Amino acid sequence: MSLTALESQDVSIERIDNAAIKLDVQELDFYYGKKHALKSVSIPFAERAVTALIGPSGCGKSTLLRTLNRMYALYPGQRATGRIMFDGEDILRPGVNLAMLRARIGMVFQKPTPFPMSIYDNVAFGVRLYESLSKADMDNRVEEALRRAALWDEVKDHLSASGLGLSGGQQQRLCVARGIAVKPEILLLDEPTSALDPISSAKLEETVTQLKSDYTIVVVTHNMGQAARVSDYTGFMYLGELVEFGETGTVFTKPATRRASDYVTGRFG
Amino acid sequence: MAASVARIAARRASNVIFVAFCYLVTAIALIGLTAILWTLVANGIGGLNLDVFTLPTPPTGERGGLFNSIVGTIFLCSMGMAIALTVGLIAGTWLAEYSGSSRLGAVVRFLNDVLLSAPSILIGVFVWGVLVQPFHTFSALAGGVALAIIAVPVITRTTEDVLRLQPIALRESGVALGSPFWRVIQSVVWKAARSGILTGALLAFARISGESAPLLFTSFGNQFTNWDPRKPISSLGQVIFAFANTPYDDLRRLAWAGALIVTAAVLTVIIITRILTRQQKRA
Repeated sequence: MSLTALESQDVSIERIDNAAIKLDVQELDFYYGKKHALKSVSIPFAERAVTALIGPSGCGKSTLLRTLNRMYALYPGQRATGRIMFDGEDILRPGVNLAMLRARIGMVFQKPTPFPMSIYDNVAFGVRLYESLSKADMDNRVEEALRRAALWDEVKDHLSASGLGLSGGQQQRLCVARGIAVKPEILLLDEPTSALDPISSAKLEETVTQLKSDYTIVVVTHNMGQAARVSDYTGFMYLGELVEFGETGTVFTKPATRRASDYVTGRFG
Repeated sequence: MAASVARIAARRASNVIFVAFCYLVTAIALIGLTAILWTLVANGIGGLNLDVFTLPTPPTGERGGLFNSIVGTIFLCSMGMAIALTVGLIAGTWLAEYSGSSRLGAVVRFLNDVLLSAPSILIGVFVWGVLVQPFHTFSALAGGVALAIIAVPVITRTTEDVLRLQPIALRESGVALGSPFWRVIQSVVWKAARSGILTGALLAFARISGESAPLLFTSFGNQFTNWDPRKPISSLGQVIFAFANTPYDDLRRLAWAGALIVTAAVLTVIIITRILTRQQKRA
């Protein structure tokens, strides 16, 4: 992967090799009604790698994440302009099949959101939307997803129990399993551990690291340590702009911009 | 130090007074409830016998029961609830999930609240004008529709309220899996709100099961057992009202028995539904 740094005082965006880019955000602007929440953001997300989005609250990192699967389209007052290229196709273009898009780009939310049904049905829910598998194939799919989410051993004996009965950390891993059971290409994680205790967080981080071999992962986090541990690339956002983007090691140890340097060293934010 | 000790003592005292007040008020409510139930059982139990459940309402002095009214009430309530659940669930879902902040949503919500507090006799008169007068006959059908109109706003309101309580993230995570929004509502959000929606339905059922005013102009009443929805039909609420106002002891006894039956039936339905949903929740 060849990296060329474009040095500048205010903003520093490293380019990454085009062939490695799975999802390419280009000059994205985002509006909540009249509020301009993202300002000409361009950021590449590398295939089979974890990209962390960091920055103080309200900087637009969750907003950016929610444009990637067009979740914002549920709300009439919200709109995005610019381009988000996904396998050569602009997903912001009108006429994109949003259900199909979201089946290819999975998302896990800040708080665990198990559905009010059994653990098995939770994982099978998304699969049933698009595939009609035999009982045996579905069993395999559910097991595989739960294994990959590092939850299988804990729940294999009571798959028919309600997903609501699991602990918070287990519920969050159930949501990860539910997301990957659909076999998406990209996984978006919106502060996935902020509602979890340290041990559950560690387990989830481990899961993310393992999933990296097959998925393109974007994770929004407030936890610097987490960003440093799990990600390959890091984007630092501030007031709706992407201030710095590069390899995680570089952003955390030799940040090119003053603002990123202040943030990662804990001087503000 | 002394001052703070005094303050804590004062706080303790006010706490004790408040808790005592809560107990007192609860006791008053419970005394009223027990008194009603006790009177009902004491007066009604004597009138209960096999005839009550097998024979139609008699003229005074003759052998008879409430069979026609029980059949009528079951028919009217089933029809009312079938219509009201369908309309109320869909209307409540539309208000909570689709109306957004639209003007139409606000208007519908307001009108629903108006309907919620409309006197039930007015609803009877309305249905009389729409379904009785044009066909020149009272009918069970008209009675069922009148009860449905009473139940719809209750179910609409509670459905909307409990759906709004469900976290937005639940809907978003369904949508994030590639599911169409309506499907998320149907298979996730409704399920999550199930017990609340059911509570609304039970409230509505309890409310219509003893109604008599809106039935005066619609299902009218019938001395005989009727199975034809196009004809007038008897109902417990109405028979209780009519018989309680007579000077005849045998008819009054039947009225008490009828009141006991309605209350027991509502209680049974509520308890059974609660048990069923609790089991489902655990599963």
